[in-house]
Amino acid sequence: MSDLNTFREETRAWLLDNCPESQRQPIVKDEQIWGGRKREFPSADAQKWFEAMAERGWTAPTWPKEYGGGGLSPDEAKILQQEMARLGCRPALYEIGIWMFGPALLAFGTEEQKLEHIPKIVRGEIRWAQGYSEPSAGSDLASLKTKAEDCGDHFLVNGTKIWTTNAHKADWIFCLVRTNPDAPKQQGISFLLIDMESEGVSVSPIELISGESEFCQTFFDNVKVPKANLVGELNKGWDVAKELLKHERAMMSSMESMTEKEEFSLVDLAKKTLGADAKGALNNPEVRTKIAALDMEMQAFAQLNERMFYQHKAKQSDPRLPLLLKHIGTKQLQRKDELLLEILGNKSLSWESAASTHTEHTVTRNWAFDKAHTIAGGTSEIQLNIIAKRALGMAS
Amino acid sequence: MIFNEEQSMLQDTVRAFVQEHAPVADLRAVRANSSGPSYNLNLWNQLVELGLPAVALSEDDGGLGFGYMGLLAVLLETGKTIMASPLVSSVAAATSLIQLAGTDDQKSRWLPQLTSGEITATVAVQEGRHYSLPAVETQLIDGQLNGGKSMVMDLPEADLLIVIAKTAEGKLAAAVLESSKAEFDAQRYSLMDGRKYSDLTFTQTNVLPNNILGEGANRTAEIEQALDIATVATAAEMVGGAESLIERTVQHLNDREQFDVKLATFQALQHRCSEMYCQLELAKSAVFSAFARLDRGKDIHKAASQVKALANDYYQHISNEAVQMHGGMGVTDELDVGLYLKRSRVCNQLFGDAAYHRQRYALALGL
Repeated sequence: MSDLNTFREETRAWLLDNCPESQRQPIVKDEQIWGGRKREFPSADAQKWFEAMAERGWTAPTWPKEYGGGGLSPDEAKILQQEMARLGCRPALYEIGIWMFGPALLAFGTEEQKLEHIPKIVRGEIRWAQGYSEPSAGSDLASLKTKAEDCGDHFLVNGTKIWTTNAHKADWIFCLVRTNPDAPKQQGISFLLIDMESEGVSVSPIELISGESEFCQTFFDNVKVPKANLVGELNKGWDVAKELLKHERAMMSSMESMTEKEEFSLVDLAKKTLGADAKGALNNPEVRTKIAALDMEMQAFAQLNERMFYQHKAKQSDPRLPLLLKHIGTKQLQRKDELLLEILGNKSLSWESAASTHTEHTVTRNWAFDKAHTIAGGTSEIQLNIIAKRALGMAS
Repeated sequence: MIFNEEQSMLQDTVRAFVQEHAPVADLRAVRANSSGPSYNLNLWNQLVELGLPAVALSEDDGGLGFGYMGLLAVLLETGKTIMASPLVSSVAAATSLIQLAGTDDQKSRWLPQLTSGEITATVAVQEGRHYSLPAVETQLIDGQLNGGKSMVMDLPEADLLIVIAKTAEGKLAAAVLESSKAEFDAQRYSLMDGRKYSDLTFTQTNVLPNNILGEGANRTAEIEQALDIATVATAAEMVGGAESLIERTVQHLNDREQFDVKLATFQALQHRCSEMYCQLELAKSAVFSAFARLDRGKDIHKAASQVKALANDYYQHISNEAVQMHGGMGVTDELDVGLYLKRSRVCNQLFGDAAYHRQRYALALGL
C-alpha cells in the first residue's frame, strides 16, 4: 500500500513538472496529438508533453518495458489515470495502435514483430489504420473478399477496405485478408500488416454526415506484402481479429472520456443556456429530469467499469460484463448528444462555425459524428446478439 | 465494489438456505393467510439463527462485522425468491435509525435485542399516496405524536415502531414506540404483493423523552442516512428479483418451441433479453457502489436516489417483459412471474418512486 502511495506522490510531482499548463486545459479536437511519419504537433507545449510521456512509456502505461511501454501494474496505471484526471492532463497521444492494435500484437505477434512495431507505437512514430470492413462485408465481416495470394516470398494483395479511419493520414494498416477461398468463411482469413507506402495502395476519403472525412476507402491493387508481416498463423487471423475487437469495443465504450468533456458538462451548459431560478433550479423541468435520469445511468456505467476493475484485480472477472460495455457506452453517448441539442435549441442547427460558438459548433458536429459509434466496431445489433448468446446462453 | 471471501461465503450460505427453505411458494403461503403473520415466523427464526440481524453492524456495536456489503449479499438472495422477511423494515431501516441517530443509552437499550433477533422493529415514514421525506406532516411536539402514516411494513410483529415526524421547529425527528403498548389506530391490509401493510393514525400519542432518538439533539442528517440505507436495501432486493426474472425468462425461451424452433432463437426476443441484462448489471453495479460507500463511512444521499430510481425503472421494465415473454402462462397466477411483477410495483412505492428520486437527485446535482 505504501508503495502505491509513494508512486502516487511521485507521479503527481512528475506530472506537475512535465505537463505544461496549456496541456491541462480541456482538450479541443484540433489540438489532439496524433502520431505518425507526417505528424505535426499543434503547439510546442503539446510536443514537450508528448515527448515527456513517450520517454517514460506512459503513452502505453501497462505495456511491457522491453517494448518501450510503461510497465505499470493495473493499480499503478489506475493511479496514473486518476492523477492525470485530477490535474486535467490531456491524453499525450491519440492512436489506434495504442487502443487496439498494440494489445493484439502483444498477444499474437512474434518477438521480431513486437520489437519492430510496438516501440514505434509508444513513441508515436507510426500511425496505424484498421482494414476490416469491405463494401460488401459489414456486420457479416467474415464474408470479406480482399485476397492475399501466396507468391513464395510475399503475398499479393488485391481488394478494397472501407471505413478505414484516417487511412489518408496513416503509415501502416492492419488488415483481414482471405488466404483460403475454399475454407469455411472464418477459417480462410489471415491478419496482415501492410505499409501504406507500398506500391498499389491508394486512399479515398469519404465525406460523413458530420462534414468530416475521417473515414476512407482504401484500395489494394497488386500490392506485394512480405511474408514476415503475417500476424498469427496463416488462416487463423480471425482469432487475432477477435482479440483486437475486444479492445476496440472497450475503447469505444469510453469515447465519452475522449471528447471535449469539461466544456460539455450537461449541468453547467443547461444552467447557462436555459437559466435557473433563485434557488438554482433549472427553468426547464423536463430537461432537468432528463439530465438527472441520464446522469444516473452514466454513473451506473462508470460503476460497472469500476466493478470490473476490482473483479479483475481480485482475479474474479465475470466474463459476461465486458460484452455489455460497447452497447451501453455508445447508447449513453448518443443520448447525451441528443440532450445537448435539445438544450442548445436552434443554436444547435447551424453548420458554419462562424455562425455559432465553438461549443455549439462542436456539439452539433459530435452529435452527427457519434451516430457512427453504434455502427462501427460491431453494430449495437451485433452486440445484443453476442450478449444473448454468450452472456445469457440463449439458443441460436 | 466486490464481495470479499467472507461475504461471498455468506452469500452462498444464504442462497442455499433461501433456495431450499424459502422458495416463492413460501410467499404464496403468506399471501393465502390474509389475517396471518406478515412473514413466515419460523423461517425468520432460522435466519436469526444464522445471525443475519447482526450482519452489517461492526463488532463494537454487537454485530457480526460483515459490513454493509454483507447485508447486500443477503438481500440479493432473499430478493431472488421475493421472500417476505423483516430484513428491510427491521435490519436495514430501524436498526440503522437507532444505531445512527440514537444516544449511547438508546443504542445499548435496543441494539443488543435487535441484533440478537430477540425483537424486531419497523419504521413509519410515508404519508398518503407517495413517499416524500420533505412532505412529512406528522408532528412530534411536547412529547406527543399527531398525524397519519401509510404503508408501514411488518406490523403487528414488530416490537418497536419508529415514527418519523417533524418537530415544532420543522426538523426531522424519530420517535420509538413499543408497538404493543403505545396508543394509535392501525388498519392492516394486504397489498398485491401478498404482504401485509398498515395505515396508522396518531392522536396525541405520548412519547417518552428518552424514546426520541438523540434525545432532543438535531438528528436530521442521521435520520436521512438511515432511511437512505433502507432505500438501497429495498433496491438490493429488487435487483435480486430482477435477476431471478431474467433467469426464468431465458429458461422459458430456451425450453419453449413454436414454429418448430426454440423461442430463444428469435432475434427480437434475444435483443430484448440482452437489454434487460444490461439494465440488471447497471443497477447491480450502482447497488454495489452504494453499499461499498456505506462501508467506507460515506453518506449515500445522492447514491440512494440513483440506485432506487434505476431499480424502480429497470425492475418495472424487466417484470413487464418477463410477463410478455412467458406468453399466456405469464398472466396466470400459477406462474411466479406475476408475483414478481406485483412485487416490483409495491417496491416502487417503498421509500420513494422514480419521480421522487430523480427530482431529489437533480437537486443533489445542483440543478
